[in-house]
Amino acid sequence: MNLNPFWSMSANTSRKRSDEEQSGHTDQRASPARTHFSKKVLPPIPKNATPFTKPALMGPAAHTANGTHASYGPFYLEYSLLAEFTLVIKQKLPGIYVQPSYKSALMWFGVIFIRHGLYQDGVFKFTVYIPDNYPDGECPKLVFDIPVFHPLVDPVSGELDVRRAFTKWRRNHNHIWQVLMYARTVFYKINTTEPLNPEAAVLYEKDVQLFKSKVVDSVKLCNSHLFDQPKIDDPYAISFSPWNPAVHEEAKERMFTHKRRPEDHHKGTQVSGLSWVKPGSTQPFSKEDGPPQS
Amino acid sequence: MMASMVPSGSRDGQPLVLKGVDPETCMIVFKNHWAQVVKILEKHDPLRSSSTLASLGAIGLGAGSSGASRFGPTIPGDEASAVQNYVEHMLLLLMEEESGQAGAMGPILEFVVMENVMERLFVWSLRREFTDDMKLEQLKMYEMLVGQSRQPLLHHKPVLRPLMMLLSSCSGTAAPAVEAQLVLLLHQLCCVLAKDPSILELFFHTSEDQGAANFLIFSLLIPFIHREGTVGQQARDALLLIMALSAENERVARHVAENTYFCPVLATGLSGLYSSLPTKLEVPSEEWHCLHKEEWLRLPSLVQFLNSLEFCNAVIQLTLEEVMTTTAYLDLFLRSVTEPALLQTFLSFILLHQHEGVYILDTLVSRINTPFQLGTVSLALFRTLISLYCEDVMLQLVLKYLIPCNHMMLSQRRVVRERDFYSASAAKILALTPSCCSPDRSPPPLRQLDSILFSKHGETAKNSSNTDEGSGFSEEGDGSGNSCTIGSEIYLDVSYLHYLYDARLSISSCIRACRVWSAPYDGESPPPEKYQPGVLEEPAADARQTLKRVPPLLGPPRPRPPGKEPPSIAQLELEWDDSFDACPVQAADAPVDPKPPQPPSSEPPKHIQEMMRSAIKVVKGSYIEESDFQDDVLVYDLIAQKDASEVEQTSDEPGGSPSDEAQPGSADVSLKNGLCLTLPTAVTADGGKNGLNAKVKGQTDCNGNLQSAVDSSDDLLSQYEELIRTLVGEAGGKQAITEGEARKSVTAATEEEEEEEEEEEMDFTSYTAETPEPEKPQSPFGSVQRFRSGSSKGSYAVPFTGPFMSVLLSRLENMLSNTLHVNLLLTGILAQLAAYPQPLLRSFLLNTNLVFQPTVRSLYQVLATVKNQIEELAACRKDFTEKITVAQHWLLAREASFITADRSSGGGSGQHEAGRILKNSPPPKPKDISLDQTDVFATVLFSEFLKELAAIAQEHSVLSHIPMEE
Repeated sequence: MNLNPFWSMSANTSRKRSDEEQSGHTDQRASPARTHFSKKVLPPIPKNATPFTKPALMGPAAHTANGTHASYGPFYLEYSLLAEFTLVIKQKLPGIYVQPSYKSALMWFGVIFIRHGLYQDGVFKFTVYIPDNYPDGECPKLVFDIPVFHPLVDPVSGELDVRRAFTKWRRNHNHIWQVLMYARTVFYKINTTEPLNPEAAVLYEKDVQLFKSKVVDSVKLCNSHLFDQPKIDDPYAISFSPWNPAVHEEAKERMFTHKRRPEDHHKGTQVSGLSWVKPGSTQPFSKEDGPPQS
Repeated sequence: MMASMVPSGSRDGQPLVLKGVDPETCMIVFKNHWAQVVKILEKHDPLRSSSTLASLGAIGLGAGSSGASRFGPTIPGDEASAVQNYVEHMLLLLMEEESGQAGAMGPILEFVVMENVMERLFVWSLRREFTDDMKLEQLKMYEMLVGQSRQPLLHHKPVLRPLMMLLSSCSGTAAPAVEAQLVLLLHQLCCVLAKDPSILELFFHTSEDQGAANFLIFSLLIPFIHREGTVGQQARDALLLIMALSAENERVARHVAENTYFCPVLATGLSGLYSSLPTKLEVPSEEWHCLHKEEWLRLPSLVQFLNSLEFCNAVIQLTLEEVMTTTAYLDLFLRSVTEPALLQTFLSFILLHQHEGVYILDTLVSRINTPFQLGTVSLALFRTLISLYCEDVMLQLVLKYLIPCNHMMLSQRRVVRERDFYSASAAKILALTPSCCSPDRSPPPLRQLDSILFSKHGETAKNSSNTDEGSGFSEEGDGSGNSCTIGSEIYLDVSYLHYLYDARLSISSCIRACRVWSAPYDGESPPPEKYQPGVLEEPAADARQTLKRVPPLLGPPRPRPPGKEPPSIAQLELEWDDSFDACPVQAADAPVDPKPPQPPSSEPPKHIQEMMRSAIKVVKGSYIEESDFQDDVLVYDLIAQKDASEVEQTSDEPGGSPSDEAQPGSADVSLKNGLCLTLPTAVTADGGKNGLNAKVKGQTDCNGNLQSAVDSSDDLLSQYEELIRTLVGEAGGKQAITEGEARKSVTAATEEEEEEEEEEEMDFTSYTAETPEPEKPQSPFGSVQRFRSGSSKGSYAVPFTGPFMSVLLSRLENMLSNTLHVNLLLTGILAQLAAYPQPLLRSFLLNTNLVFQPTVRSLYQVLATVKNQIEELAACRKDFTEKITVAQHWLLAREASFITADRSSGGGSGQHEAGRILKNSPPPKPKDISLDQTDVFATVLFSEFLKELAAIAQEHSVLSHIPMEE
């Protein structure tokens, strides 16, 4: 049941705990340069693009924020999603990697590694769809690329039943990382009530052995498609490729050595503040005379 | 007469022209001369020509014979003058020599280096009597060589070393002529250094040879910086050159800061200096607010540099124009000094030094509110100050007033650190955009017809030029029917992208810079409880600082005879001080005793008198005399509160009449000048005992001290007291209500946070709305806190966010009548403040959900006031919208010209204020509009400022929450 450990993924944005992943190697060649939190957030404005109209979706997104000018609605949405994304990074969810799509901030690509339990060694790719009236709409959807054999995963569409955990999506209260966390939890704690995949539910209840072997098959199937082209054509879609020392060795090296962000040492933007305040004091120049910190 | 080595030829105004003379000939002549000189030198060299004994004998003889040298036998006059002649010619030859190919030494220089000519000449003159005249001659010689030589000489140790020896031998000299020549040479050397910093290292190395890592040039200059006349001027010029150098060379900077007396000398200042400074600057235009490089280069630079320091002492005696000039100097100084240790010296002076009991800083702050150009110049100074990212400055200006968290409802402290997930504050700020400036109403050049294609589907749409395709884009993706994009048909304000980008840059550099700070200022650290001291009260260490300067008066206060010194400020401070270590005797009961000892006094301190005078003027609503607005800091405090209470009353009006507010016993407090304020007296139950908080206590102490003796001002002061008391009462009364309201959101926040903290094993059912939320304790702070707040109610300071914020906001409120440049500076300062990542500051300026104490005025409130003013204006002026368009065009043109100028001058960090105006639109034709129409320009600026603030708020919601450890 061992997987080929030599694959790579192009999730360069949301890398977390890279050292944990015994064989996680970034492959950055496929990604367009969208620098990690250092560049403009919004996509570039195409020159002379003719605005096209699509009245159906106009309303909700534009008017969510306190009835302000519609012109700023998309900015609010984008920043809300960015804030969500930084929150995901902050959470350091074990074994979960996500990356917003290049085309839309409302679509996030992800992959989840299951490290133990029934679904051990499973590597499941998924996509998160966030409603365009976020955060006032429904809860985000999470759809696995390949429908995993699981009571809560739709055997046809691959959609995970997220809504049972978030019957009503509440702003300021619910966050996308919770959805991701939920997606991870379902593989460790099997729930069979009101299943989307009744077969899986029944098997789990009645014949765990058969259930287990079906899960093993499903995991095998998913992993056999690991190197397939991403289901959605997007520069930031997560794609895996077989281990190639020429490409991956260096990236791996960097992953294990590189601790600080390069921009910390970026010369051009080096700015230094001043402080002569002794820690614990609120008095200016309370520090003992010494070389000033800078 | 001793041998002079200066070629007299050049001094007589008839320089020998050597041009055209063949270099080989020159070389031969030079060598010949040197051979002759060496002959004479060796003849008189005790070590060479005679045995040690003989030499000793010779010295003994020399000492015995009257008027002879201590160093050696007298050299016959003819031989001395022969040497002089030879050397004269030699130096001329050296000076005139061109350097060889590819910068190689010319043959003469090479010879000088090889033969160590300069050093031997110096040693020779040392051996003879080294009189002032000799020094003078040698200094002149080097000055000429350094200044006029055609090839670089200082790179060569055999030239540099004797020069350094000469310099150090001159260090103690008293003769004015030598000093003048010394400074001239030093200045010359500094010029060379400035042109060619590579020599700098050599200066250090050469000094090291002499046993000390000493930058001799600098040390020698220091004693002269306070001199009057040309010597002082040159010394200061030279020093400024070095300061400029220190900005680039860390070694110099460190040396200057650590190994020289420069900082103390600088900090001490000398009052005599001021008289020699220009007290008037030619103000080139209305727009002028700071000294630009081109301007100060034309002036003797260091004069300004020192003037800025002097200004602190001379501040009170100055006329308006002089104050303005010195403020501009001050600004210049801050902008040109980059070495932290130097800045420290300077900033500590501004922040901690008091003049007649008022901090220099406070005086500077109060100037912001002055009319005329002084206000503008002061604003420029503060823009410089807050862009230093200096914790100490920010602490004194704003943060120390925010730390106690008294400006918000107690229950709101959690909100301080909250993240604005959905840009709610940005939306609220942008919602203040006046209808006449709405992006939908912008004229074509401003309104971007391009829309931001939020999804990249625009490309698809463009390619197919088919709207159906566009409308069907939600079907794209994985084909599962999941909609993943939003429409982009809305006209987006593209200029806003630039604001976002600028905000991102501004915040991230601020975050980086503030990493050296001592605390996060997030409402928890420093803990608000620990730093409850009020505003005017000086906290412990400050008092200690004062104690260092002024010996504490621990004994019982003695009655002061009339007309004598005002009461010591240190003493007053100690009375307000709640520190236990600084002054145990008084501190023991200081924090709780509502009535500290009142030293009898027959006359108010000068600054109080001033305060009263200015107060009358401020209350009357205008400044009259230009020079009379000193020491009004304390008054600002009062005015700010008065303003706040007015705002409050206004906002209450729609609901119920103001009289509803009035409590039993409401009284008319009429001030002398006839201005009437109806204020509820509202003496609360504990008002009589300890109703006055620490801050007010401080004030009343001052006032109390005076009351008995001051007749004429007694009235006014008591009215102030009344005013303060009522404000306190009002605040206390309202607190209860609003606190209750605010509690709800806090509970929510608490839950959120707690849930965020939950790990792996969470219960997902808790995310559903149906699940009842577990009851949380009402106060997140527990009973201790509540008890504390209850018990210390009396000492609960009147919420006040400091004179700086108060003055800024009050100027902002008058935006419509401010000149364009004042508004640019003002909004620039506020935007810079808003970019600071400290949650206390960020929440105070940008969080529109934070519930403040009723008496605290927030930025949002002020912006709302301005918006209303604009709407009223727009409603009653027909041509307003049209004018706005014109102003927008004019500003765009101005912006464009700045960019061009910036580019042509090679970039550099231009004033960022320009970034406020839209950048991307095509430059329109500037139409004529008078800058006198301040309201029109202010309206345009206002709506742009809203975008800027909103963008900053949005970026904070992302940037300030990115974990730093990775």
